[in-house]
Amino acid sequence: MHYSILVLFLILAVISISVFVYVFLTSKSNDNQSTGMANALQKRFWFILILLVILCIFASVTIPKSPYYQFADKQPSKVIHVAAQQFNFIMSNNAIDPKSPVGDAYITVDANELVEFRVTSLDVNHGFAIYDPAFKLIAQTQAMPGYINRLRYQFKEPGLYHILCLEYCGMAHQVMRSYFTVK
Amino acid sequence: MIASRLKKITSLWVVIVLLLFVISIILGILMRLNQGDVIQLSPVTFYTDMTVHGLTMISIWYVAGMAAVNFIMERYVTTSKPANIIALVFTLIGVLMLWASTFIGKFHAGWTFLYPLPFKEMLKAWATPLFLFSIAVLGVGWLIWCVSLIAGMLKKYSLAQVFAWQYFRKGPKTETPPFILISMITLVGIVTCLLAAVILLVLLFAEYFSKGAFVNDALLIKNLTYFFGHTIANEMLYLGLAVIYELFAEISGKPKWKTTWYVALAWNCTLFFILTAFFHHLYMDFVQPEGLQILGQLASYLASLPAAGVTVFSIVVAIYRTKINWTLANLLFFIGVMGWVVGGLGAVIDATISNNFVLHNTLWVPAHFHTYNAMGNVLFSLGFFYWFSFQFSNKMDDNKLSALKLFFLVFGGIGFLAAFYIGGADSIPRRYSNYPDEFPLAKTLAIIGGSFATIYLIGILLFFVNISKRCVKILFSRSS
Repeated sequence: MHYSILVLFLILAVISISVFVYVFLTSKSNDNQSTGMANALQKRFWFILILLVILCIFASVTIPKSPYYQFADKQPSKVIHVAAQQFNFIMSNNAIDPKSPVGDAYITVDANELVEFRVTSLDVNHGFAIYDPAFKLIAQTQAMPGYINRLRYQFKEPGLYHILCLEYCGMAHQVMRSYFTVK
Repeated sequence: MIASRLKKITSLWVVIVLLLFVISIILGILMRLNQGDVIQLSPVTFYTDMTVHGLTMISIWYVAGMAAVNFIMERYVTTSKPANIIALVFTLIGVLMLWASTFIGKFHAGWTFLYPLPFKEMLKAWATPLFLFSIAVLGVGWLIWCVSLIAGMLKKYSLAQVFAWQYFRKGPKTETPPFILISMITLVGIVTCLLAAVILLVLLFAEYFSKGAFVNDALLIKNLTYFFGHTIANEMLYLGLAVIYELFAEISGKPKWKTTWYVALAWNCTLFFILTAFFHHLYMDFVQPEGLQILGQLASYLASLPAAGVTVFSIVVAIYRTKINWTLANLLFFIGVMGWVVGGLGAVIDATISNNFVLHNTLWVPAHFHTYNAMGNVLFSLGFFYWFSFQFSNKMDDNKLSALKLFFLVFGGIGFLAAFYIGGADSIPRRYSNYPDEFPLAKTLAIIGGSFATIYLIGILLFFVNISKRCVKILFSRSS
C-alpha cells in the first residue's frame, strides 16, 4: 500500500471539504449580519497567487524525481529485453528477434545492480508494471509497438518480483503476467 | 422569452441523458460485482460493458453540458434550433451504432480504443468499422452544434469581446458576461479536440481500408487519442462551470458575477493549459520527448488555477457570511464544486510524474475521474436539470425528498469512490475483469464499491422520476 499518497490525498480532501462545510454553515447561521466577505476581489487575487506559488514549489520538488532522470547518468550493469504480446511477456538476456521471438525460461538479477529493461510490444499496447514480493507496484513503463521504452531500476530486496500488464490489451488482459527473481 | 421549441428540445435532452445514465450506472455496478465475484460475466462481456459504460458516460455528460449551455445562451444570443436537433439525432444514432457494435458485434477495445487494439478486439469483423463510424457520427453532430453556438456568439460579440480581451485595457467600455467568456473558451477547446478526432478517425480508416498497406505510428495515434479523449472529458466539466457562473448567483438571489481582468486572463490561459494537459496520459511512454512530459505536468497543475482558483473562490465569496436562498439546485452546484475540487486533488496527485510511476493504470485513475464526474459534473448538470424542470412549472417542489436524494448521492458516492482510492493506493490494476488472488483487498473493495454505487443509483432514480415527469409535461405542452 502506498500509504503516503493516500494520506496526502486524505489530508488535502479533508481540508478542502472542511472549508466548504464551514462556508456553508456561515450562510445558514442566524446571527450572521449578511456582511459577506470584505475586499473579495483583492482576496481572490491573493488566493490565486498563493495557489500558483504552492503549485510551482510542488512541481519543482517533484519533477526532478521523475523516472526519466533516475539513474540517467549511470551505466546499467544488466540489460533485460522484453517483448510483450497478447497475452504474455517474452523476457530475455539477449536481444529478441520479433520474427521468431524466444525468451529465457528464468530471469535473474542481483540485488543493488542497476538493471535496464528494454520494453517493446509485438502487437498492441501493453503495460510493463513491476510489483515487489508484497505485490506493491514499484515501477512501470508502457510496451508500445514500434518503440522501445527503457526502464532503469535498482532492486534493493531479494525475492520474486511479478510483472503485470497494466494497459488494457484485450480479453485476457487480466491474466497477462510474468516474473523474475532478485538474488 | 425562451422559445418554446428550445424548451422542448432541452426537455428531451434531459430525459434521454437521465435514462442513458441509469443504464450506464447499472453497467458499472455489474462490472464491480463481477470483479467482486458476486456475479460471473465472461471477460468479453465484461470488457464490452466497460467499453459501453465509458463511451456512453462521456457522451451523455458532454451533451448534458451542451444542452444546458445552449439553453442559457439563448438569454444572450439567438441559437440555432436545427443545429441542436441535428446534434440530438446524431447523438441517438451514434449511441445506437455504438451499442450495436459492442453488444452485438462484441467490440471491446475500451472507450479509449487505443490503436491498434480496435483492429483486434471484436468477435464480428463489422464491429470495428461500425464502432469507428459511431464515433464519426457523434463527432459530426457535436461539431455542428459547437460551431453553430460559436457563430451565434460571434454575431453579437466581436472576437476580442467574446474572449474578454477588453479587460486587459483600463476602463473597459463593453461587458462580456462570464458565461459567454467560459462558453467560448470551452467551445473552442471542444472544436479543436473534435478536429483531432477527425484526423484520428481518418488515419484509422486509412489503415483499415488499405488492409494493412498503410500502417499507423502507435505513439502519434496515442497522442491524438488522448488529445481528443482527455480534452473532451475535461471540457464537459467546463460546460458545467459556465452554467454555474450564470445560475448560482441568480438562484441564490445574489447579484450576477462579473468578469474582471484576471478572470479574463485566467480563462484565456485555460485554453492553452487544457489543450496541453493530455500529455500526462503518456508519462509512462518514455520515448515521448521529455519536454512534453514536463509540459504535461505543468499544464495539469496550471489548469487548476483559473478553473478551481477563480470558480471556487467565487462560490466561497458568494456564500461566506451571506444569507443564501438554498434550494436543491444551488445545493447541487455547491456540492458539485466540492466534489470537483476533491477529484481535482486526486488528479493533481496522479498528474505528478513521480506519483504516476506507481499509480498509472491502477484504480487511482477511475477514483479521481469518477470523483469529478459522479460527484462534480453530474451534480452540475442535475442542478441545471432540476432548475430547468421547475422553471416552467406552476407547482413548486415540496422538497420532501430533497434531503433524501442528496443523502443517497453523497453517501453512495463517497463509499463508491473510497473503494477506488484505497484500491489505487494498494496498487490494484484498473480494467481487470477478475482480480488475481495476490490482491487480497481487491474483491472486497469491488463489492463495497458496487454496493455504494447502488445507493448512488437510488438517488439518481429519485431525481430521474421527479425531473423526467416535469420534462415530459414540458415536452407535450401546447403553449410556450
